Amino acid sequence: MGKVLIVTDSTADIPKSLQEELGITVVPLKVHFGEETFEDGVDLNPGQFYEKLKKADQIPTTSQPTPHQFEEEYRRLSEENPESDIISIHLSSKLSGTYQSAYIASQTLGEEIPVTVVDSKRASYAIGVVVVEAAALARKGASKDEVISRINELLEETTVFFMVDTLEYLEKNGRIGKASAVLGSLLKIKPILSLTEEGEVYPYEKVRGNKKAVAKILDEFEDRFGNDPVHVGISHAEVQGEADELMEKIKDRFNVKKEIVTNIGPVIGTHVGPGTISIAFGRSKM
Amino acid sequence: MTIKIIEGEKFAQMLIEGANNLSNNAKSIDALNVFPVPDGDTGTNMNLTITSGVKEVKAQSKTHTGQVAGYFAKGLLMGARGNSGVILSQLFRGFSKSVEGKESIGSKDLSKAFAYGVDMAYKAVMKPVEGTILTVAKDSANKAVEFAKKNDDTIALMEAVVTEAKASLERTPDLLPVLKEVGVVDSGGQGLVTIYEGFLAVLKGEKIAETEVQGPSMDELVKVEHHQSAQSHMSTEDIEFGYCTEVMVKFEEEKVEENPYSETDFREELSEHGDSLLVVSDEDLLKIHIHAEYPGNVISAAQRYGSLVNVKIENMREQHTSILQQESHSAAAPSVPAKAEKTEYAVITVAMGEGISQLFKSLGAKRVIEGGQTMNPSTEDFVKAIEESNSEKIVLLPNNGNIIMAAEQAASVSDKDVVVVPSKSVPQGLAALLAFNPAADLKDNEEEMKEALSTVKTGEVTYAVRDTSISGVEIKKGDFMGIVEKDIVSTDSDVQGVAKELLSKMVDEDSEIITIIRGEDRTEEEADELASYLEEQYKDVEVEVHEGNQPLYSYIISVE
Repeated sequence: MGKVLIVTDSTADIPKSLQEELGITVVPLKVHFGEETFEDGVDLNPGQFYEKLKKADQIPTTSQPTPHQFEEEYRRLSEENPESDIISIHLSSKLSGTYQSAYIASQTLGEEIPVTVVDSKRASYAIGVVVVEAAALARKGASKDEVISRINELLEETTVFFMVDTLEYLEKNGRIGKASAVLGSLLKIKPILSLTEEGEVYPYEKVRGNKKAVAKILDEFEDRFGNDPVHVGISHAEVQGEADELMEKIKDRFNVKKEIVTNIGPVIGTHVGPGTISIAFGRSKM
Repeated sequence: MTIKIIEGEKFAQMLIEGANNLSNNAKSIDALNVFPVPDGDTGTNMNLTITSGVKEVKAQSKTHTGQVAGYFAKGLLMGARGNSGVILSQLFRGFSKSVEGKESIGSKDLSKAFAYGVDMAYKAVMKPVEGTILTVAKDSANKAVEFAKKNDDTIALMEAVVTEAKASLERTPDLLPVLKEVGVVDSGGQGLVTIYEGFLAVLKGEKIAETEVQGPSMDELVKVEHHQSAQSHMSTEDIEFGYCTEVMVKFEEEKVEENPYSETDFREELSEHGDSLLVVSDEDLLKIHIHAEYPGNVISAAQRYGSLVNVKIENMREQHTSILQQESHSAAAPSVPAKAEKTEYAVITVAMGEGISQLFKSLGAKRVIEGGQTMNPSTEDFVKAIEESNSEKIVLLPNNGNIIMAAEQAASVSDKDVVVVPSKSVPQGLAALLAFNPAADLKDNEEEMKEALSTVKTGEVTYAVRDTSISGVEIKKGDFMGIVEKDIVSTDSDVQGVAKELLSKMVDEDSEIITIIRGEDRTEEEADELASYLEEQYKDVEVEVHEGNQPLYSYIISVE
């Protein structure tokens, strides 16, 4: 029996160094600025992206990887690591066709190269938590079944909250889901968004002001995780200082085993806009 | 003369005379309101409350004392407005429970009923404050119980009650420091004394000298009329008289010589043209309010006595049909939507000012009852709004300390699941509404919304209605006052300066957002000037300005 290989996509916001350290394969989604197309994290890094976003007169659009891209990745991995098992974990199928493409690729390959495709029903580093924990377990030589059962366990609890500066981007890209209820407000409010069990965007809470938003989110995490060992990821769109400060706060209050502060990649960034911070928590066994 | 037994008919007369006496004194009771903001409305509120009780009594048979008391209590309960009104309704709710089933009552029954009413009222108030109507009711009821042990004459008993009530009223400043400071007795207590005096007068067979015949103002009467007519018209087709018409005429000597004016006769004449009729006149002016189908006839009739000063005609069917119009004509709009959309939840709130109403609606409030500091909605207003909401789960946001009890009373009489989130200000109401989550259950919402109340600080800038001194601060009539929660923290003739000083007391290092809601008396430029100053002064704080159009309050400010 060979080893277990983990594949994900660029919306998991896993930093390059960690991808390399744990041998995680990341398939990029695409960002289109008018006629120009970029591969998320490949020929467009977050810094360049937000710079372009500021100058762009139109909000860019995004698209999922093609089934063919996945097929090629799976083939390559299989050739390099014969007898291995591939688990491919992706962005919520309610938000993107990425899972669909990966699934089609796995169906095409069939028995030839068995691939288990997982709909994480999450976004941003909430996928990252699941992927990184799974990859770490796989590194230790766990079997495919062991890794899958760990993934299912993680999916039950791993949660992400987004503090967006404006709902404008989500609305323009049609990803607003149930959060649309917050739109008509005359008061400027900061919606805290999360994902439902099905992976749809919904407004978890409406507050005014960042401090209140952070307090709400951390209270919720405390209810769920208490003092248990946690894996925390903060992804941010061009607000490094705030993200670092927030991580310090979290470390003071929680039993943090693994911490990641990273950028929200171009694809998720297109949908949530600059100024957004996402906070993901999962139970850690690393 | 002694009366040992009070029959139903006599008892009904007592109630009616009690109400009359209160009504005659309502204005002077208003003036006793100690807080120097323009909320002198205790007398008006109690008057509207008791009027609703008496209306019930008048409409029913009066042979059975217990039943008469029951009708009265029911009317009071539904008409309850303001804290004193709610307490009054609770006093008589207890009273009626005590005499339930009794065809007639003697002095022991009467004293017991007073005492039972006091028990009921104390229970209904979350934090009873001594030195108010409660104390006056309690002291006089105790006296009654004591007195009834030795004497079975109801006249003597009522005399003792009135004497003790007056004495107790005189003591209220000793119990409530704010009364002493301003040098007045409690207004609600004064209201109760006048009611008891009315009772006594009937037992003695006397007529009370009218101390000051001055009813509520025309504006107040018009509001009440609209209230009532709004409640009776469920759909546009039901409006029989389509135009809300207000006419003001200045009497002219020659014309009056030709057509002698009699208010009674003129009212009689106009009543044929429509309903919701009000006619008020003094030596100079004649004011008319009527809902008529042919306003022209009304104007011509009025012109017989003098020259037109002012005419206002509004099409009520239009307003009724078009929600937009309904919102923009707050003065005349019957605020009843034809049929509310069916939703699981309805958040019902209270606000003065079109802008504030819009703010609430934009955050998802299903209904905004017009009202506030000087116009407290009644229990019945809430009950109506709840009934019309077409929702089963209801959250009430009163947005004013004086309206909370009426809302709670409405919650307790409604068959639906109703919770009251006791917001005391517009900022608190907005904060609570933000915390509302239609996907959560009622109990969680109640908890979250109550919790949200404390996340915001409320500041208000208003003006003094008379010279006074509060907490050692001298305030001149017309001066602006900055109030944080209940404390006056700044006063001056310059409104902008008052607002700035007020904010300096509210903003601290945890503050993130200042929201300024501009009143109808302030210009956009003034609000912007204030905002720029604040942005300059507090660099880390975001400033948001909204047009509230509220009366009385130049600025309502939240800091969070």
